[in-house]
Amino acid sequence: MTFSLNEIEATGKRAARGAGLDWGIAEEAGKAARWLTAHGLPGPELLAELLTRNEGESYDELAPISVDGVWQAKSGWLCPLIAGAALSDRAAQVAAGCEFEFGPIAYPLLLAPYAACGACSRGAAIELSWPGAALTISPDDGLVVEGDMAAVAARTVSSVHCRPAAENTVTPPAGEPGRAVDAETWSRLSAFAHRTFAPATEASRAFGAGAGLVDSD
Amino acid sequence: MDAIRKPTPTAPLRSPETVMRLARLGSFHQCRLSFMRILLRRMKRENWTFDRPVFDIDAKGVGVAVYSAHGPDRTYSLVAFAHDLPPEQRSDRVIAHAWDSTFTLFDGVPTSDDIERLSWNVPKQEAGRVTNCEISVSRANRSVRLFKHVVDSLAAGRQPDPEQIEAVGYLMRTTAVYGSGKLGAADREAIAGRPEFAAPFQPEMLSVFLTRAYTLDLVEHLARTRAPETAATIAPDLRHRFGVGNSTGLGLAPFIVNHPALFNNWIAAREEALARVRALPRASNEEAATFRTMLARARQNAEEWRSEHSLQIQKLIMLKADLSHLETHTTADLLEGEAPWDRLYRWAEANLSIEGQEQLVSLMLEPYGELVDDLAGSMSANEADSFRIDGAMSLARLKEIVEEVYDFALKIDWASPDPNARVWYVSEEKLEPRLGERYDEPIEPYEQPLQPGRDAVRMHADISAWEGENTVAAFLLRHPQHRHIARRAQITARLPYAEIRDNTISAALLPIDLLRVKLAFFGATHFDPRSDRWVRINMFQDAPFPHELSEGDADDWSYPPWRRRADDFFAE
Repeated sequence: MTFSLNEIEATGKRAARGAGLDWGIAEEAGKAARWLTAHGLPGPELLAELLTRNEGESYDELAPISVDGVWQAKSGWLCPLIAGAALSDRAAQVAAGCEFEFGPIAYPLLLAPYAACGACSRGAAIELSWPGAALTISPDDGLVVEGDMAAVAARTVSSVHCRPAAENTVTPPAGEPGRAVDAETWSRLSAFAHRTFAPATEASRAFGAGAGLVDSD
Repeated sequence: MDAIRKPTPTAPLRSPETVMRLARLGSFHQCRLSFMRILLRRMKRENWTFDRPVFDIDAKGVGVAVYSAHGPDRTYSLVAFAHDLPPEQRSDRVIAHAWDSTFTLFDGVPTSDDIERLSWNVPKQEAGRVTNCEISVSRANRSVRLFKHVVDSLAAGRQPDPEQIEAVGYLMRTTAVYGSGKLGAADREAIAGRPEFAAPFQPEMLSVFLTRAYTLDLVEHLARTRAPETAATIAPDLRHRFGVGNSTGLGLAPFIVNHPALFNNWIAAREEALARVRALPRASNEEAATFRTMLARARQNAEEWRSEHSLQIQKLIMLKADLSHLETHTTADLLEGEAPWDRLYRWAEANLSIEGQEQLVSLMLEPYGELVDDLAGSMSANEADSFRIDGAMSLARLKEIVEEVYDFALKIDWASPDPNARVWYVSEEKLEPRLGERYDEPIEPYEQPLQPGRDAVRMHADISAWEGENTVAAFLLRHPQHRHIARRAQITARLPYAEIRDNTISAALLPIDLLRVKLAFFGATHFDPRSDRWVRINMFQDAPFPHELSEGDADDWSYPPWRRRADDFFAE
């Protein structure tokens, strides 16, 4: 089925929240799925796989233990939504030319939308690379992807580098109006999202939405 | 524009602490910057034309109609499906699954294949799917009493009774108008670059404007099919009395909290407009006369405004008293002399209720289209611009921001039950936002982030206890639960009207305040709460119809025309 970017963002946000992430992280996760989709990349698919993989893991297991030197997670594998949020919070350092190195991380492509914040702050392109893949992201959301799709959409990689890019000329975004998302991915995201919805009861139906007087006259 | 009219740098903007209280937001009225008025002014200026390429509805009222609006560069079409709805299925609640009519706003003119595709989806609303060729999806139910009365009267060759029209005000009320990519429709971002959709909610307002024409055509058509020889058509004056109703529950309430940058821009535009008018050194005779005329028409509006809800009845009593007081005050020469509008506003602060003060703010803008209408261009927001957290900000600065913006919340005793009484949650039925009782229902685990005040207080406590590096980035890495409110606080530091300065989960919360402010920006009138969380309104009442837009004034309808002589009011 084809979904609008708005639907992908909204469902991505709810799914991330349903998977146990805090609201602020979940908001950015929805935007990350949207950003990748708008760039023709498998945002909803990777988000669904990541949330499934990290089911039951706590924030502390998945977050960088320290942001000095190489970022490493206690569990062994960084969550790109958590590491991405921390990277976006350090956009000023990216702008100042700092380089960041991530240790083992799941679904590194999900870092790209967060790295784009660094490009915006820097006002110039930055490069995100891991074995077999390199992405150049420009401040206007332009993106060049190098590497075969298997490497670009890798499930796990041992390291990722984020640094100022040498090349600044980058293709502007394709501007996709939304995209077909496979039924399996959508149903997984929807199942996570469903956890944020309270079961309806007669009382909530009657009072929660507040229909008081007759509403059909 | 006259040079003297330029805003002065010292024009007083009202503070967010004054404006962003729920009681005040819940007293807003439509004004020149309301979205319906922005739409009609543009369509008039650009000479839009309208036609009805399809009207294929049978004697039972079942079929399809298409209304097209042709602008300078593009055409948009309302595709309306008319249904025969069994009375027991008629409900304004979002949990309904069938309606009297269902609609979509199509990008262009639909082919018969498009209409066929839409006929399988639009009538199902949330259970159907549309594509990026559609911009909005909506539905409406009849006001059963008035609809029947009007069809019966016309079929009998008579005009409908004006009193019955006035008692309801519309033939149909919409129960949801979805835009922005809902149900697979075009994303807001995909159309926001079009000048006609640059201002907020323009496609939705266009859809409702065309829906109004459809509802009038439908009753006349049904009367004609019933009595082809004798049926009357509605007299033009009476025809204008019909708006489109809207019935809105809590679904709308979270929007203004979820879109802080956008909400800021709505409020900031209106506040800037007020400041520009208050900064004027004097009012011409003509401007003063326009104000007095609009004031008299606002009185008429208040007279016609019906509500059965005790809170609104009280507010209306105060509004009517305020308007009378205001009229007495401004019939003297008070609009002469220095800075008349600033003096008038200050007088109102001391002498009128909040409802009356906000009515005055709207009225003060009326004579000054040249001075304020351009602000319509500043009411949208690129929300991505304000979304990123500034992690380099010092934690000390974030704490200062919290203490300034959420001062109201820091004064609340959150340990006591009342301030915490409510929970915003989303029900699994149709994803409907609801408000529940924290201590009576098992809903806390589903709480939505719609209580900025309480969340800011929690963050403030953790900031106070923090001993790590003095940056927002370091703090949020260890306190991800505060990420949402840290973002809001930073947005509000830049955009001061972004945040409501009141507790949104208090036992004393009136959700209708959240609905009213949004609906007032739409341009709605006659707010009629049906409970503390459900409100009916009227849209486009007294406005020109599409075929009349090329003649006459497109922006002189938001207050009713004088239906009685002004002298009658002065004699009261």
